[in-house]
Amino acid sequence: MRRNGTGMALIFIAPYVVLFLVFRIGPAVAGMLLGFASYKINGATQWVGLSNFHALFTDPLFWNALRVTITYTVIAVPLTVVVSLGMALLCIRSIRGIKVYRALYFLPVVTSLVTSSVIWQWIYSSDGPLNWFFQSIGLPAVNWLSSGNMVLPSLSIMSVWTRFGFDMLILLAGLLAIPHEYTEAATIDGASAWQRFWWVTLPQLKPSLFFVVVLELIQSFQVFDVIYVMTGGGPGDASYSLVYLIYDQGFNFFNFGYASAAGVVLFAITLVVSLWQRWIFRGET
Amino acid sequence: MATEANAAPALARRAHPRPARPRAGRKSRKQLWAHLPLAIVAVATLFPFYVMLVVSTQNGQAISLPGSLFPVHFNFSAYAQALQGGNVARWALNTLIYAAVSVVLVLTFASFAAYAFAKKKFFGKTVLFWTFIAMLMVPYQLTLIPQFILVSKLGGIDTYWGLIVPTLANAQALFLMRQFIAQVPDELIEASRIDGAGEVRTFLQIVLPQTKPILATLGVFVFLWHWNDFLWPLVETRSPDHYVMTVGLYSLEAQNVSLAITMAAAVMTFLPIFAIYLALQRYFIRGVTMTGLK
Repeated sequence: MRRNGTGMALIFIAPYVVLFLVFRIGPAVAGMLLGFASYKINGATQWVGLSNFHALFTDPLFWNALRVTITYTVIAVPLTVVVSLGMALLCIRSIRGIKVYRALYFLPVVTSLVTSSVIWQWIYSSDGPLNWFFQSIGLPAVNWLSSGNMVLPSLSIMSVWTRFGFDMLILLAGLLAIPHEYTEAATIDGASAWQRFWWVTLPQLKPSLFFVVVLELIQSFQVFDVIYVMTGGGPGDASYSLVYLIYDQGFNFFNFGYASAAGVVLFAITLVVSLWQRWIFRGET
Repeated sequence: MATEANAAPALARRAHPRPARPRAGRKSRKQLWAHLPLAIVAVATLFPFYVMLVVSTQNGQAISLPGSLFPVHFNFSAYAQALQGGNVARWALNTLIYAAVSVVLVLTFASFAAYAFAKKKFFGKTVLFWTFIAMLMVPYQLTLIPQFILVSKLGGIDTYWGLIVPTLANAQALFLMRQFIAQVPDELIEASRIDGAGEVRTFLQIVLPQTKPILATLGVFVFLWHWNDFLWPLVETRSPDHYVMTVGLYSLEAQNVSLAITMAAAVMTFLPIFAIYLALQRYFIRGVTMTGLK
């Protein structure tokens, strides 16, 4: 009986395991190994030790990509999290039509980033609606996407639009899980609204907030679709991010080894963020 | 995980109680102040969708602001042109195949495996399971190049199977299915076995019906991920006949067709997922609040 069960279990997991080994674990291991190799398009592979990494760390393009990615992350993540938190606090009140608002805010989340990019590219264009609005209230036109200084803030603002509906829901669930008694007790003790938020709500919300931050960090470090469609890494190299570098070096220049070395760096960064999350949540669950 | 699972019913519970009613007169003003920020953000959220729709009806017109944003005449020729010149119908079909086939296969493979992981004993179970879950930490972009090399060696570039098969090993689906199936009472499975049902029948008739809510939620998200996927179809497809909507939309924009045609194609990319969102909204919300699916 038991043996029969084991046999069936193996048959049940077999398709999934095979797929996972071949298309996920295999390529992940190969990706790391490829970082230490040179791969020619005809299939000739040669071990080159650390020379891909040496080339990477002496390449201004890589340092620029890292700077672009970090800058984007530093702008986009706090902006998204703060807006999401604010909207969660607004949406927690039970007023008429609140469900409609929540549903509306989620709409950009289900929209593909390519679709969003196509729309925002026009919104941001030099004679687009945003500049028209700026000029009609007496402000100068802004080169949203065509200025090296503005491109990352512009992409960050758009990322708030694409993500806050999602993060807001997670924070909303976190807010609703806070027992009523806590804030009521603080009110009775004479705490102001701000004090209640800072000393009661925020500490209670920490797990959800942290979850959202980690998610946003990882997403920001992997930003690609938006940059590919809207800026192509430009102007100049001003939005040439780490994943854009992997794609560009891999599929435009076929430097598979070099691109994989950059992929290993991305993995290392992701791993640090994930382990940091584990460390913060140690002891819980 | 536990806190998020508890939070979901709270979301449903708290949405219902009516607010304490202040005295009449002050009530409407208070309501107004509560709605104002929500409405402003709603307008800002909807504005890009409005822009997309409006501009798509201005084919052959010079775009001028603010007139183009408040048009009097609507003209849908951009849709016809996108469908003819841009092959949009074909891309929609390809995307539908990519998404629908993936949903069915991901759910099938993941639920069978999840059942074994949740309810069976076999050698190496724990190690294997956590290896799968640990792979969630490896960024997809690191595996992209070897995956591309592998699929091209197998002759799968620019084919349907080459597009679909590498995306089927979904660790998130396995994880969520296992969590859910673990909660199915062992007694149910035992009883079915005593009744003489085989393993497959027990799974299909007893376990699987219990997992309907998570199957629906996962199905919706797997569909969404595939419908909106860009990077893998971008490197895997070559001929415009094999493009999916996202890649096709990008290619249209890159060809410098008129803004109205690009927007018309954007609308057609958006509409199917919009319809699914309208119909199955609660599954989207549940997926987010219960599991953090994105």
